[in-house]
Amino acid sequence: MNTILELKQVVKSFGKLTAVNHIDLKIDRGEKVVIVGPSGSGKSTLLRTMNFLETIDSGELLFEGSPCGYVYKDGNPVLDSQKKLCALRSEIGMVFQQFNLFPHMTVVQNVMEGQVTVLKKSKDEARETALQMLEKVGLSDRATVYPVTLSGGQKQRVAIARALAMKPKMMLFDEPTSALDPELVGEVFDTIRSLADEGMTMVIVTHNMGFAREVADTVIFMESGDFIAKGTPAEFFSAETQHPRIKEFMDKLL
Amino acid sequence: MNSISNKLGKSGAAASLFLLFVLCVFPVISQAGEESDAILKQARDALTIGKIDQAQSLFEQIPTPGPEGDDGEFVYSRMQLARISFSLKEAGKARSYAEEVVAVYPDNVEAKNFIVSLDRETRPEWRKVVDDCIRFLPSLLKGASMTLLLVFVTMIVSPVGGLFIALGRISQTQPFSGISWFIIWFFRGTPLLLQLFFIYYGLPAMGITLSPLAAALIGLGINYSAYLAEIIRAGILSIEDGQTEAAKALGMTYVQTMRRVIIPQTYKRIIPPFANEFIALIKDTALVSTIAMVELMRAADQMFNAYFNVTVLVFAAVIYLVFTTIFTFFFEKIEYKVGVYERR
Repeated sequence: MNTILELKQVVKSFGKLTAVNHIDLKIDRGEKVVIVGPSGSGKSTLLRTMNFLETIDSGELLFEGSPCGYVYKDGNPVLDSQKKLCALRSEIGMVFQQFNLFPHMTVVQNVMEGQVTVLKKSKDEARETALQMLEKVGLSDRATVYPVTLSGGQKQRVAIARALAMKPKMMLFDEPTSALDPELVGEVFDTIRSLADEGMTMVIVTHNMGFAREVADTVIFMESGDFIAKGTPAEFFSAETQHPRIKEFMDKLL
Repeated sequence: MNSISNKLGKSGAAASLFLLFVLCVFPVISQAGEESDAILKQARDALTIGKIDQAQSLFEQIPTPGPEGDDGEFVYSRMQLARISFSLKEAGKARSYAEEVVAVYPDNVEAKNFIVSLDRETRPEWRKVVDDCIRFLPSLLKGASMTLLLVFVTMIVSPVGGLFIALGRISQTQPFSGISWFIIWFFRGTPLLLQLFFIYYGLPAMGITLSPLAAALIGLGINYSAYLAEIIRAGILSIEDGQTEAAKALGMTYVQTMRRVIIPQTYKRIIPPFANEFIALIKDTALVSTIAMVELMRAADQMFNAYFNVTVLVFAAVIYLVFTTIFTFFFEKIEYKVGVYERR
């Protein structure tokens, strides 16, 4: 059983707008899935269903082979108990477009918080892990400052360290570089790339095609809640096999 | 037998001596008394028709009595003179008349009190302030300590109550949301004075009798909880959703998210309006004077009624100002402290 997370016929709508339309997706251990697509295509919503920040309207999620996150009443999914959701979420790291660091905590406290509050680790142990993670993202020298003093790129790397400190089984990245100045994008991608090299399972929503091509095992093009195309970077980006809609989208980007 | 007749003999002698004394001396005294009575009558008549000079000189004619003299006319005349002098704003002269009485009768209460009040009236201004301080401050400070007790207990109780009401109001779950809404609606929508009356005078009708202190604390506690609840709610709603999402994504429960992430971030935003409320609270405690609580306002009011002296109100105002000033600086300090993470 090599699949870590599986989505079956997942639907999510906001009023009349169907953001995620009957999506099936299997994510294998160590796989890097990159989801691209125009704004409003439902890719962020899809990502957020994977750690239950969005509640699905119908369908099913399986984590490590077993249904998770929902109980079914009359066939409709209803969010499971808070306890179970929290346990699941602690195993799935998430990095947000807007970083969402806790501004009232220092950098190291940010990275310690989940370990102490959720995993019930001792402060000393949590601090040690936190400093290792900050080392990993190259910010151990900023451990004691408040987030307000950091650049956007540094903030995002702290956010990555915060998620990693939970020792998650997979990571979700929701447009991790979209809020950054162009010159700061590189440092964040470098961090994600080194994480990919270590074999971390990850799902990345991004607009950056170059990064998608470089890091992805699977690239998915999403539009209006549907998968338009899905394949390896080679298939996805080669001129012969490319879906015409993707070509159009990429031409617009350039 | 012999000793008894002896004693009888002695007392008999004393009695006859006394009789002799009365018979010989009394006519003289009563003659002097008649004379003085006539003078006093003239003096009084002179006073009645406003001839003050004449009255004064007539009163002066009453002689200083000898050791066995009658004191009535003398004391009366000198005290009249003293009062006349005082009303003519001749404090020194007035004092000397009263002293004349005290010189002859050291135990005369009227003259002694006259001198005391004369001194009080004629003391310098700074002495008056000091004397007022000594007279008013002990009760005022006692009242002020009760005011502080009310303020501090309310300051501890109402943020806790307010937090729960705010969380109830934010939650989507009935009946918490409904109850919280009702508490805020009712206690913000009616006068605190009315609430205090109801708790202190109204609840006994329902079989709940409270001491004035308990009633005051309950009234202030609930009323301020309702106000602070809305401030706390505004503070919580002002924190970006991203913070909740980040906490959730780490696996935090609702309570953990609130306690560790959201509420600490509200401190900086809610402290200025909290300071506002607590300064209003210091002054609102004056309302509990209406339910038999002796706090600063009531203490001031009692003494104002007793002495009819405005100074006591000025003192009370100064004490209130001292409290509110200390609070203002205290909250500025706290605001600076809790906002430290927002400074680069």
